[in-house]
Amino acid sequence: MSEWIIQTKDLCKSYRGRLAVDHVNLNIARGEIYGFLGPNGAGKTTTIRMLLGLIKPTRGSVEIFGKSLKREKLHILRKIGSLVEYPSYYGHLTAVENLEAIRRILDVPKTRIAQVLETVGLTKDAKRPVKGFSLGMKQRLGIAAALLGEPEMLILDEPTNGLDPSGILEIRELIKAMPKQHGITVLVSSHLLSEVEQMASTVGIIRQGRMVFQDTIESLRRQSEGSISVAVSEPEEALLALLRMGFRGKLENGRIALERTDDQSVARIVKALVEQNHAVYRVEEKRKSLEELFLQIVGEGGGA
Amino acid sequence: MGRVLSSDLLKIRRKGLWLLAVSGPFGIVALQALNFGIRYDYLTKKYADDLWGGLIENIALLVPVTVLAGVTLISSLIANVEHQTNSWKQLLALPVPRTAVFAAKFLLSVILLGVSCALLAWGTAALGVALGFGWDFPAVKILKISFLPFLASLPFLALLLWMSLTVRNQAAPVAIGLLAAVCSLFAGQLPEFVPLAWPLLAAGPPSGLRLAVGGGVLLGALILLVGAVHFERRDVD
Ligand SMILES: Nc1ncnc2c1ncn2[C@@H]1O[C@H](COP(=O)(O)OP(=O)(O)O)[C@@H](O)[C@H]1O
Ligand SMILES: [Mg+2]
Repeated sequence: MSEWIIQTKDLCKSYRGRLAVDHVNLNIARGEIYGFLGPNGAGKTTTIRMLLGLIKPTRGSVEIFGKSLKREKLHILRKIGSLVEYPSYYGHLTAVENLEAIRRILDVPKTRIAQVLETVGLTKDAKRPVKGFSLGMKQRLGIAAALLGEPEMLILDEPTNGLDPSGILEIRELIKAMPKQHGITVLVSSHLLSEVEQMASTVGIIRQGRMVFQDTIESLRRQSEGSISVAVSEPEEALLALLRMGFRGKLENGRIALERTDDQSVARIVKALVEQNHAVYRVEEKRKSLEELFLQIVGEGGGA
Repeated sequence: MGRVLSSDLLKIRRKGLWLLAVSGPFGIVALQALNFGIRYDYLTKKYADDLWGGLIENIALLVPVTVLAGVTLISSLIANVEHQTNSWKQLLALPVPRTAVFAAKFLLSVILLGVSCALLAWGTAALGVALGFGWDFPAVKILKISFLPFLASLPFLALLLWMSLTVRNQAAPVAIGLLAAVCSLFAGQLPEFVPLAWPLLAAGPPSGLRLAVGGGVLLGALILLVGAVHFERRDVD
């Protein structure tokens, strides 16, 4: 088995008898950017709070760096930097003072403050009170604070939420650089696939507290690859014939929609249809966008 | 915990906490300066055989209510530094025991209020000297009325700080604290074993003083311990 930095086993959290996080098994490998996806209220923040020891799991366990979070919390937290939901900051203090307040607890050299401010591009605004910062700047200060202790792992909960497109881009570039330049593993959550797909190597999708997908982004892309749509003269009869041959499909808007099929199968399908005197008007490949697939995964199973 | 405390000292910059710590003793001394200034002849005649004793008695009357109000406001303001921008999730995800965070906040309150007590002692002596009561002031007595009511108020500090740190809405702890402060003005009528009577007792004659101070420190330590254990275990939202 490869080296998991974070591994949860059947992690659960219930609020008033309802499972906000329902048997989640998270596996995050070293050096990757893990996109933790799910619609609002899916349980991302609740899961992340449990990873940071802010709240206690109702059931299940968390292992980080191969150690039990329950037993070695402080040791683990020493190597994690985090940013949970909207940014935390002391508005009456300047950016430097905010970082100094955290530095005193972490006990790292003073020079780290200038370094992390440089990393997030806040050097110019270092001496300004944070209450005058834009949301994007506060968010970057939050990331600076998370980086202060030279962590091996960064946990960022919706770091781009509420930012304008340029702010989103800045944060995304910052996150992308983490594994490459600093060897840091990143867990980043979002309710939008589009924000994560360009940086994440692995994605976990959570819906109503349950993990419904966890694999590499390539695997997700593969799943999104197209279905074959065939337009024929007598669609109902043609579909029946194909089903009898063992293909799987259904009628959609008067066309036959077949699940992902390789080239040989398509050739056999066309040949069969022609031999049975169906007029084949069109054979098209329909590609689902990744976003459509995400929405489908997230919406699947319905129910409130 | 030293590291957390040093961080806390930085965080209360420009928050008016030091000003609050100064204004309590300043208020008491100013009020008595006014009292003695206006009724100088009457009061110096009344306390003719013990001028310093008279001044100390008048100061001591105002200490319990001021200390309890100070305890209330300081613990709430300290908690608010973290509540205001939801800094708990950042602070408590740092590699530091939660009990150290809790203890540092308590220690910070004690430092601020300790400074108030020291200023009160200094101000009382200065006022007496200014009023012409001579330089041979009863230092021990002054220190007693300045510091002991605070020690007797430690249960309130522990309780109000615990409440302030755990509930976001500060209305309840502030209301309870200020109510206690007002009630302490009439605490003379309360039985001695009631903690609310202790701040006043601690400023009075030795008979009730031992119970008030001893009880205050012990009960304060107990509440602090229970609060710290709860703070350690609770979920942080
Ligand atoms: N402290 C809490 N008390 C009650 N319910 C909560 C609490 N925190 C979260 N929840 C519920 O848990 C579910 C998941 O919330 P959350 O983890 O914040 O979702 P996400 O971060 O994915 O948007 C939601 O239904 C939310 O209402
Ligand atoms: Mg969330």
